[in-house]
Amino acid sequence: MTRAFIVLTMSLLLGGAQVLRAQSARELLGQGVQKYQALEYDAAAALLEESLGRDSAAGLADSLRARALTYLGATELFRGQRDSAVATFRHLVLLNPRYRPDELIFPPQVTNLFQEVRRATRAIAVAVPPVTELRTRIERFTARVLTSSLADVTVTLAREDGTLMRQLYSGPVADSLLVSWDGLTAAGTAATDGRYLLQVTPRTPTADGPRARQVLLEVKQEPPDTLAWPPEPPFLPERTSSGPAFRSLAAGLVTGAAAVALPSIMAQGKDATGARFAVGAAVGIAGFVGFFAHKPRPLEANVRKNASQRDAWMKKLDGVKTENATRLRTMRLVVRAGPETFAERRSE
Amino acid sequence: MKTIGVIGILASALPAVAGAQGRPTLAFRGDAGFVWVRSDTAAAAAGGAVRLRGPVLGGEGRVVFNGFAVGVGLLSGTLQAADQTVKRDLIEGRLVVAAQPVPWLEMSVGPFVRAYVTDSVTERWVFWQARARVEAPIVTASLTSYVELWRALSSQVNLVAGAGRVQGGEAGVVYRPPQRPFWLRLAYRVDDAAVRVGGSQTLEEISVSVVVGAR
Repeated sequence: MTRAFIVLTMSLLLGGAQVLRAQSARELLGQGVQKYQALEYDAAAALLEESLGRDSAAGLADSLRARALTYLGATELFRGQRDSAVATFRHLVLLNPRYRPDELIFPPQVTNLFQEVRRATRAIAVAVPPVTELRTRIERFTARVLTSSLADVTVTLAREDGTLMRQLYSGPVADSLLVSWDGLTAAGTAATDGRYLLQVTPRTPTADGPRARQVLLEVKQEPPDTLAWPPEPPFLPERTSSGPAFRSLAAGLVTGAAAVALPSIMAQGKDATGARFAVGAAVGIAGFVGFFAHKPRPLEANVRKNASQRDAWMKKLDGVKTENATRLRTMRLVVRAGPETFAERRSE
Repeated sequence: MKTIGVIGILASALPAVAGAQGRPTLAFRGDAGFVWVRSDTAAAAAGGAVRLRGPVLGGEGRVVFNGFAVGVGLLSGTLQAADQTVKRDLIEGRLVVAAQPVPWLEMSVGPFVRAYVTDSVTERWVFWQARARVEAPIVTASLTSYVELWRALSSQVNLVAGAGRVQGGEAGVVYRPPQRPFWLRLAYRVDDAAVRVGGSQTLEEISVSVVVGAR
């Protein structure tokens, strides 16, 4: 109880600190924008730099960060710090290659400089949803590849150790491209549990070219729900039971034996005639007749009825097996995406 | 006289009982058999054991109603020794009241009279029998085997020695042809009637019967 209280209190304190920090960065951004609008560029630059200087994880979101960089670049431009403005816009392009300053807010000299920097920067970015659930083959995981200018890229999916698993795209990207993955490896099997890298790399890497980007994907298989097999129907007996045959035989033999033994039981010590053997034999033979009359034999009507029932059941069973095989082929995957990072340059 | 009185009472009660049960059914059985009698009673022992044999004819009529039956039977024939020096007529009469508590078991009781008649003397046995009969089907509804055992509850004989233990049994098979109004029976029976001073009369019979009507 005490431990839980301490953990809860610490969580609240840390969470609260982050909120305060974020608000502070946002407030600084707001104040910086106000200073910019008031043409107080030095103050604006200071405030905007401070807002951007906050820890990026707990500070401004990417959209606000892009806004802050835009205002900072414009501020630097109007302060006469063109190189600084170029560096800021370059940073902005690398952050989001598709970002464009609002032409209603910023004057042409700002937007023109940004376009100039954007064309020169050649950045690549990749955007993926944080969590994607998909059924292999049927559904797809999607990622959007963004470029600041026309770029020839290769989009691959590799294991965490760098082993190539699947190439998803190779070709030019003018602005953005949606690539998709069906959850399968190159061999056509479902991706196993593990970490994978979605990498976007220029096809011809150059020193001043865009840097490769990657997103860590954590893939987890979730076994599909399979259908239960249909229960076997209650089949009718297809042969008569052997019980009546043996009961008949027993009845005949016991009665025959009784006929033979009657004088010994009821008239002990007397000489009996052979008549009892005749009757005993006749009854015994009757027992054998009964045995063969009741010998197990096929029950054709039941066999036919069972056959139709069995066929129907087998059809159901085959249907379930097929459905289960389909479900097992289409494994369900949960793909969790990590943050986008720069990929390490591979040694050629 | 007492026995005849009981038979008379039962016989007179038969129509009344049958009528009370609504729809009684009738069955008649005709028997043709061969009998062997071996007598070593004291009376017969003077000349050694007497062995007689001969064909017999018999019959029985039954009224059956709701698991109960009342029947009257008669059997008659002439027996003689192998050397034809001794000759006796055999006459048996029987009245039976039977109940069938379960399909495979019939229990019955009733008087039984057996007489050996010569020109000069009649040896008459009178028993009150209690019988139990167990049936076992061999082929359902068409071939049935049965075993019947009986013992005398009381017995009388007009011999000086007097009657002792009297008991017997019967085993056989019954064939009911499908779609036929009659059925056939093959049976073997043995009765052993002892006299008090020693010795007994043993009767064996093998018979073939035709039955018409209910069981």
